[in-house]
Amino acid sequence: MPDLRVGKMVPLLEISRAWLVDPVGEREGPGEIVVRDGILEAVTWLQGAEADGIGPDGVLVLPGFLDLHVHLREPGNEDAETVASGLAAAAHGGFTTVCAMPNTTPAADEPSVFARVAGAAAASGSPVELLLHGAVTVGRGGERLAALGELADAGAVGFSDDGSPVKSAIILRNALLYAGMLGLPIVEHAEDVTLTAGAEANEGLVATILGLKGWPAAAEISAVERAIAILDSVRADAPGARLHLTHLSTAGALDAVRRAKAAGLPVTCDVTPHHLGFTDEWVAGARRWAWEALDGAGTARDPWADGALVTHPYGTACRVNPPLRGAADAAACLASLADGTADAVVTDHAPHTAVDKETEFGLAANGISGVELAFGVLLAAVAAGRLPLARAVAALTGGPAAVLGARPGRRGGARGLVEGEPADLVVVDAGDRWLVTADALASRGKNTPLLGRELPGRILLTVAQGRLAYRDAAGDA
Amino acid sequence: MWRPFKDRSGEAGKEDARVTSRARLMDGRQIMTADEIRRAVIRISHELVEKQAGTDGLVLLGIQRRGVPLAHRIAVAVEEHEGVTLPVGALDITFYRDDLSLIAQQPVVKGTQLPMDLNGRTVVLVDDVLYTGRTIRAAMDALVDFGRPRAIRLAVLVDRGHRELPIRADHVGKNVPTSSDEVVEVALVEIDGEDAVRIERVDAPDPTA
Amino acid sequence: MATNTSRIPTTPDVAWRQKHLLDVDVLSLAEIQLVMRTTDAMKEVLARPISKVPALRGTNVTILFYEASTRTRVSFEVAAKNLSADVVNIAASSSSVTKGESLVDTIRTVEALGADMIVMRHGTSGAPYLAAEVFSGSILNGGDGWHAHPSQALLDLYTMRTHLGDVRGKKVVILGDVLHSRVARSNVWSLTAAGANLWICGPTTILRGFDAWAGRWAGGGAPGHAGFTVTSDVDAALRDADVVMALRLQRERMDGGLLPSLREYAARFGLTRERLAVAKPAALVMHPGPMNEGVEIAPDVAVLDRSVITEQVTNGVAVRMALLYLLAGGHPEAVTNA
Repeated sequence: MPDLRVGKMVPLLEISRAWLVDPVGEREGPGEIVVRDGILEAVTWLQGAEADGIGPDGVLVLPGFLDLHVHLREPGNEDAETVASGLAAAAHGGFTTVCAMPNTTPAADEPSVFARVAGAAAASGSPVELLLHGAVTVGRGGERLAALGELADAGAVGFSDDGSPVKSAIILRNALLYAGMLGLPIVEHAEDVTLTAGAEANEGLVATILGLKGWPAAAEISAVERAIAILDSVRADAPGARLHLTHLSTAGALDAVRRAKAAGLPVTCDVTPHHLGFTDEWVAGARRWAWEALDGAGTARDPWADGALVTHPYGTACRVNPPLRGAADAAACLASLADGTADAVVTDHAPHTAVDKETEFGLAANGISGVELAFGVLLAAVAAGRLPLARAVAALTGGPAAVLGARPGRRGGARGLVEGEPADLVVVDAGDRWLVTADALASRGKNTPLLGRELPGRILLTVAQGRLAYRDAAGDA
Repeated sequence: MWRPFKDRSGEAGKEDARVTSRARLMDGRQIMTADEIRRAVIRISHELVEKQAGTDGLVLLGIQRRGVPLAHRIAVAVEEHEGVTLPVGALDITFYRDDLSLIAQQPVVKGTQLPMDLNGRTVVLVDDVLYTGRTIRAAMDALVDFGRPRAIRLAVLVDRGHRELPIRADHVGKNVPTSSDEVVEVALVEIDGEDAVRIERVDAPDPTA
Repeated sequence: MATNTSRIPTTPDVAWRQKHLLDVDVLSLAEIQLVMRTTDAMKEVLARPISKVPALRGTNVTILFYEASTRTRVSFEVAAKNLSADVVNIAASSSSVTKGESLVDTIRTVEALGADMIVMRHGTSGAPYLAAEVFSGSILNGGDGWHAHPSQALLDLYTMRTHLGDVRGKKVVILGDVLHSRVARSNVWSLTAAGANLWICGPTTILRGFDAWAGRWAGGGAPGHAGFTVTSDVDAALRDADVVMALRLQRERMDGGLLPSLREYAARFGLTRERLAVAKPAALVMHPGPMNEGVEIAPDVAVLDRSVITEQVTNGVAVRMALLYLLAGGHPEAVTNA
């Protein structure tokens, strides 16, 4: 594919002898694909001798990823990210669809803001599909419901006051009822803000030793239980009501979701790569994966005793809401992907300017720039034997698609490798590694604690809806 | 480099970096034997009494570390031929050096003990090796903070040349021409278990000048 | 005839490798012992008629305090001047900091004005680590938020050793608001490194989190053995203690809902003559200051003979001189040609 520019339709793409993963068709193995004029023309599964020597440690062909939760800072904070830079970053991360949160300035609480954002996406020329969440309340202030119906008509895929929880139980209840009528989920950032006032890092050994104000797990668990209880109470009145809990970080919250699902409640949830891959030790200066910070009995290891501290403490790139938790909570997040309690992995991509991050830990903005690094973190878990590849891929494709549900106008919404559909895929060299540097990141937000670290897997190509979205400068498919 | 804390309560004085102490270099060419050292000390003890025309007012101050036992030996020799016990003290010049980078290598302070008030006295500084003269300059700075001696003199076991400051010794045990990539190592029984002076060629210049 | 009987032991030389002193946690036991020996030498200097040495002449030491503090700031200033350093004093409330200049910008400005070393105190945990990232010279942490106060812990250890010799196996009790105390945290590091039998005591709301820290050390509490025990039982904590260190309790803690009242705290946890009676008769009484007499410590306890509170202040100058001296030369690059 010589000289094909980003945004242009892919005339011809042939990938032979790759490892295909199709979670929707529930199939994984050696195969070949052909894309012609933007359509995925042929998917061929190889057998016998032809399949020899092809494994999941080489080139992977996967359905394009879907991120339910990113922050594009336009309008209002374009220094941190624009729609254009955010979509370029998403494509670099293998994402062909992203859903943007409405906590912009002004907040996306009415269709005119949607129009601005959609216009910016169109102007960027990126083929990555941009979907939008509307705010639950006007200005995300928690007092009055936003124009939910108008936003739904304008294409909202859900509603959220993310950045904050929905302020009061009564508003949450009314929002679930109303959005249920519209057939859309409320995406709740579950946090009891009275327990987290002034909080800086996960309540635990690391926060104690570093003298940081603790962020109790109870703040998330109690908010999750409240939201589930409210959902339960409205089900009779609004059968379409749906609750999606985003960026869950604690075992207790995931247990509550597990129980609610078992009871048949229409609740879904997601976890982030940083909550399943990093721990609060990183605030103290460790950089080992969460599964390496857990001993055989399932208790968190001591990074001071292990000599695991490799960089300076109080790195503000580690400051995020909800905070990085202990190794046991991170293991729970990973396990929730395996057992289906978590429906999806989202990045909660939160780019920040250097000004907002290069400051004292207690004053730094919360958020990790993560959309380009998500698959690498999951691949690290796969390589460590902690997660099957198929589950990792499903968590980025079919899982989030199911949370969104069928949407009118989106063809082939299930995200598989389906012949005859517009090509929506990502090609990864799982055997390669790449060094995360500020220059290597397409996002304007360089706030990731992975700077200077190597991640497994290099994304070679992202094709969104038949058009080229990202192409690795070095290699060629 | 962030070194994590480890529970050190089980260790007693173990350490992962040792600074080369001067006594470690025990190879190299020997330029003074024990006997030669003994005779040099005796001669110096006669010379300084001769210069003072007696023993009145003399105070010997050894410069830490090896100047101190040398000062004691000189005092013993003076007692043997004059019957007078000269006061002896020790002077630590660690805080008076002009080179901060030495702090990292030689942080340990050995202490100053002055036998008496120095005002009006003739202080004889005693050191093992005279090289650039910076140690003696620092010693004089230190001395001046303790009082106002009538005169300051210098006695050294070895003068190896290469002065960088206008400083000269009044009494010298042995003059030894050296090049700057050589190190002169003095061993004394009180500290090193033997008496000897050796020269060794090293890659890095002697940092303790 | 004076003999070479220096009371400074000649142990094998140790290289000082720290460019900054941000907390006690990265110091090895040998480095801590080196600080103790250097402090001995500095005390000797302080005992002279002219208590000054030229060791840091030409070195610019800038004291940058974001929190009001007379005691520690003056202690550092006196220490730096005794080493003949050029001292620049910046009290944050009077500087452009209040106009909103960021910490990073302030550090850069201070560097451009010629600072070789910065002694800083800041209200946010971790601030000196950020400063160390942007400053080319050495940072000495004079206290950051709740996190660390290394010079205080070292002067506390020095004071204890002066009276007790070795603290190994000795029972040292820290009593009070440890949750918000950088003095407590740094003392935990230094005392456990030195092998003390450390006890921490206070109301449960204030002990939260320290249990997990103590859990890292096996075998707590046995007399004569190293350990780290956390309890809200004041009698058990003080029984046969060799050292009792009381920590200041602040009124703001009531606002946070952690304690019912100062009166209740004083009644249940205040260090009074009666409570102190179960400790060893010669037990040292310490306090980092300033004291809330009548709250965490009774006025008559503060002035007992075995109260070493004023001695802590004197030792503070000597310890800070030692730290400034070691840091002035303590750059890792300088060690390689050993």
